[in-house]
Amino acid sequence: MLDARVWLVWVLTTLVAASSARNPLYTVLLVLVTTVVGMVCASDDGPVGGPRAILSPLRFATIALPLSALFNALTVHVGDTVLFRLPGWLPLLSGPVTLEAFVFGAQNGLVLTVIFAGFAVFNQVTPLRDLVSLTPRAFHEAGVIISIALTFVPQTIRSLNRIRQAQAVRGYRMRGLRDWPPIVVPLLISGLERSMGLAEAMVARGYGAISDQVQSLRTSAGLVVGLLTLLGGWLTFLFRPAWREVGVGLMIGGGALIVAILWLAGRAVRHTVYRSRRWTVRDTLAIVGCGLTLAAVVLPSPLGRGTLYYSPYPRLTLPVFDPLVGLGLLGLLMPAVMITDKRGNK
Amino acid sequence: MIHLDHLTYTYPGSSEPALSNVTLDIAEGEFVLVVGPSGAGKSTLLRCINGLAPHFTGGTVRGRISVAGHDSVVEGPQSLSRIVGFVFQDPEAQFVLDRVEDEIAFALENGAVPPAEMRVRVEEVLHLLDLAPLRDRPLETLSGGEKQRVAIAAALAFRPRVLVLDEPTSQLDPQSAEDVLNALTRLNTDLGLTIVLAEHRLERVLPHADRLVYLSGEISGEDGGVLSGPPRQVLRQIDLTPPLVTLGKALGWEPLPLTVKEGRAFARRVEPGAAEQSLCRSRLGDGADPLLCVERLSFAYNGASTLSDVSLTVRAGELVALMGRNGSGKTTLLKCIVGLLRPCQGEVTLAGKPLIGQETARICRQVGYLPQEPDDLLFADTVAEELSVTLRYHGLEDQPPLPPTQLLERLGLEGVMAVYPRDLSVGQRQRVALGAVTVTHPRLLVLDEPTRGLDYHAKQALVRLLREWQAEGAGVLLVTHDVELAAQAADRVVILSQGEVIAKDAPEVLTVSPLFAPQVARLFPGQEWLVVEDALSALGKAIPDDENIEVRARLSRHQGIGCPGSAADSSSRRIIADRSTSAAQDPNPPGA
Repeated sequence: MLDARVWLVWVLTTLVAASSARNPLYTVLLVLVTTVVGMVCASDDGPVGGPRAILSPLRFATIALPLSALFNALTVHVGDTVLFRLPGWLPLLSGPVTLEAFVFGAQNGLVLTVIFAGFAVFNQVTPLRDLVSLTPRAFHEAGVIISIALTFVPQTIRSLNRIRQAQAVRGYRMRGLRDWPPIVVPLLISGLERSMGLAEAMVARGYGAISDQVQSLRTSAGLVVGLLTLLGGWLTFLFRPAWREVGVGLMIGGGALIVAILWLAGRAVRHTVYRSRRWTVRDTLAIVGCGLTLAAVVLPSPLGRGTLYYSPYPRLTLPVFDPLVGLGLLGLLMPAVMITDKRGNK
Repeated sequence: MIHLDHLTYTYPGSSEPALSNVTLDIAEGEFVLVVGPSGAGKSTLLRCINGLAPHFTGGTVRGRISVAGHDSVVEGPQSLSRIVGFVFQDPEAQFVLDRVEDEIAFALENGAVPPAEMRVRVEEVLHLLDLAPLRDRPLETLSGGEKQRVAIAAALAFRPRVLVLDEPTSQLDPQSAEDVLNALTRLNTDLGLTIVLAEHRLERVLPHADRLVYLSGEISGEDGGVLSGPPRQVLRQIDLTPPLVTLGKALGWEPLPLTVKEGRAFARRVEPGAAEQSLCRSRLGDGADPLLCVERLSFAYNGASTLSDVSLTVRAGELVALMGRNGSGKTTLLKCIVGLLRPCQGEVTLAGKPLIGQETARICRQVGYLPQEPDDLLFADTVAEELSVTLRYHGLEDQPPLPPTQLLERLGLEGVMAVYPRDLSVGQRQRVALGAVTVTHPRLLVLDEPTRGLDYHAKQALVRLLREWQAEGAGVLLVTHDVELAAQAADRVVILSQGEVIAKDAPEVLTVSPLFAPQVARLFPGQEWLVVEDALSALGKAIPDDENIEVRARLSRHQGIGCPGSAADSSSRRIIADRSTSAAQDPNPPGA
C-alpha cells in the first residue's frame, strides 16, 4: 500500500502529462500506463470495481472518443482532407467536415480518457480515510463531508437502479419528462432518508461534539483579510504595471496570511489520527517515477520536448515518437512496479 | 444504570405522544429485550435513552431520563456517546468510511482520543467481535452479519457502559443473526455491558435476554402501556410470543421454557399417543398443474457465477418458500424470473409460455413481484392512486381485472385509501406495495422478504392474505429468512446455497436442518411437526385463541382438497389434524 500523498502526486503528474503531451502516441501510452496501474494497484490498495468505481476508463473512452471526434469534426471546419460537406442552412455545422478535425477531436477524447483514468485509479486506491487525511486540518470537517459525498454517489446510482426496477415491475415505461416522478420522487425521498439516517448515526457516535470550538470569528475575519489582500495584489499586478512589485508583495503577504491562519485554525482542531502511516522507500521510489515523468514533459531538450506537440492541421501527418519521452512517461508505472515487488516479497 | 421517570415524548407535529408516562429501571449488566407491536414506540424509547429524541428528532419531552447519572435530555446524544453506544437496523446506513478498521476508529479520531489509546481500543473491539481477520477488508465485501458486527464494534469504540440496538438482526439470515446475538451475549456476560435491544423475532433473542420490556402502544394507562419484568412473567401476559412459548402456554408447561433446550425437558414427557395415528397429511397445490417452471437457470454477474443450474416449480395454489443465507442468489433468481436480469442459460415458463426475452412490464402483468424495499414503489399522493398508477401503466385503467377498492378492503387498507402512503406504518406500506403489484390480478406472486420489520400480527395478516390468494389458484414464491414463517406458510421449501439448489421438494429439510429448523421441529425431533398447531393438533390439545383462526382456516381448506397419502408419507409437509381435535370441531370456522 502506498501513501495517499504519493497517489496525490501521481494523479497530479498524470494530469500535467496529459495536458502537456498533445502527441497521440504519448497519449495512448499514458492511457496504457494508467490502465496497467489501475489493474495492478486497485486490487491491492482498494476495492476493484468497488463502490466508488462508477464507470471504467475503457467505457469512458468508448463514449468520449467518438463524441469528441464528432463534435470537433462538425464544428471545426479546418483541414485539407475534406470528407464531405454539410449544407449551408445548418448554423455552426455547415461547411467542410475534415479528416484532420476528426483526428484532433479524437486526440482530445484520448486526453480526457487519460485524465478520467488517472482520477479513477486515485479514487479506487485511496481509502476514504486517507482522502480525509489529505485535507488540511482546518478543513477536516469539509474533508469528512466530501468523503461522505463520494460514498453517496454510487449509493444513489444503486438506489436509482433499484427504483427503476421496482417501477418496471409495475409496468412502468419511460416515455418522456412526464414519466419522471415515479423515479425521481422515491429517489429523492430515499436519498433524504439515507442522509438523515447517517446524520443520526454520526450524532449517536459523538460526531461534532467538539467541533464547535474550531471556528472563531477571528479565523473567519483573518481569512477574509488574507483573500482580499491576495486579490488586491493580483489586480495591482495586472492593471498597474508601475506598481508590480507592490502587487507581488501584496500577493505574497495575503497568501502567507491565509496559510498562517489555516495553520493556526488547524492546530485548534481537536482531531487525532489512528495509525499514521510511515513513509517507506517504495513511496520515495514512486515519487521518483513521477519526477521522471514530469522531467520528460516539462524540461526542455535534450529529452525531445519538441515531439510533445502534434497538430494534424492543415494536413494529416504521422506523429513523431521520441523514445526518451516515452521512457519518461513510463515513470508513472512506478506504483504498479512497487506493488508487484511487494507482492513478490510476500 | 438507566432510569426513565414518567417519561412522555411527543414527536413534532403530532397530537398524540409516542411514549406516555413510562417509568422503567434497567440495572447495570442486564440484557433487556424490548418488544411490542409495530408503532408501539420501541425505537422512540431506544432513542430517548441516548438523547437522539428529542435532540435529533425534535419534539417535546416530559419526565426524566437518566443514564449512569447523566441526564439524556440535558446532555444530548453527542455527549452521551461515551456512555451509550447505538446500533441501527441497517448497518450500511450508518457507515461513514469504507474499511473495517477505519470505520471503527472514525468516532475515536473525531473524539480526539490519543493515538496510543485509540490503538488499544480498536484492537479490543476487533477481538471482542471476532473481526481481527477482517480488519483491512472493504466494508462492501462483508456479509450482512459481519457488517452488523462492525457496526457494533464501531459503537463500542468509546467503551460505553450501555449498548442500544434497534432491530439489529432483522435483515440477517438465521446463522448471521445467531453470530451477532452470540457476540452480544459475550459482551454482556464477559464485560457486564448493559444491552437494550428491540426486536420483532422473539424466538431469536429471547434465549439471550434477562428481562423483557413490552410496549403495548396503548398510551392511556397509568403504566404507559409498558410491561416490564423477567421474560417468563411478561410472556404469560402478552400474546406476542414465539412458537415455543405459545406451545408451552397451551400445554401448561411450568416454568415456561424460553429455550429449545428447556422445552425439550417438557417435550420428552409428551406422548403423542393415539392422536398421531389419526393424522393425515397433504399439501396445497398437490396434483395441480405447474404454473412457474424454472429449468437449469444460470446467471453470472461480471463473469462470477451467481446462479448455477437452478430448477424449481411452483404449482397453482401452492406456496413455495425460497430460503438460503444472505448472498445465496435468492433475489437474483426472482429478478431473472420477472425479466429484470437476463440469465445466461436456462428456461423460465409461466403456464407453459416462455418468459425469457419478454419485457418486464409485460411479464409483470401476470406475475406480481414485490421487491425487498416496498418504499421504492411508492410515489403517488394517495394509497388508492398507487393502485391506479399500476393499472394505468398496464393500460387497464378502464377495465381493471380486480376492482381497486375491493383489493384495498382485502388488504385491510380501506380506511387509509386517501392517505399519503409514506405516512403509513411499515406493515401498511408493505401492503400498499403489495396492492400496487397485485392489482392486475396476477397468477403468480413473487415476494422478496415481505415480512422484514413486521410484528407477529402483521405477519399473520400477510399469511392469511396469501392463503386467500392461494385458495383462488394463485401460486406464491416467497423468499424469506424467517424459518417460522416458512414452516407455517410454505407447502414446499427450496434452499439455495451459493447459487445452487441444495434442497427442494423435500420439506423435511426444515425438520432436520440446524440452520432452518423452526422451534417446534427442534423441540420434537423426528415428529415432523413444524408449527404450534401441528403439535397441538397431533397431541389432541386445544389451540390457543390467537392461532385458532389460522388453524381453522387451514383445516377448512384442507377438507376441500382432501388428504392424499398416509400418515407415513414423509415427503409431504402438511399435517392435518383429525376431525376429533378441538380446533376442527368448531362449528363455525371463520375461514370457511
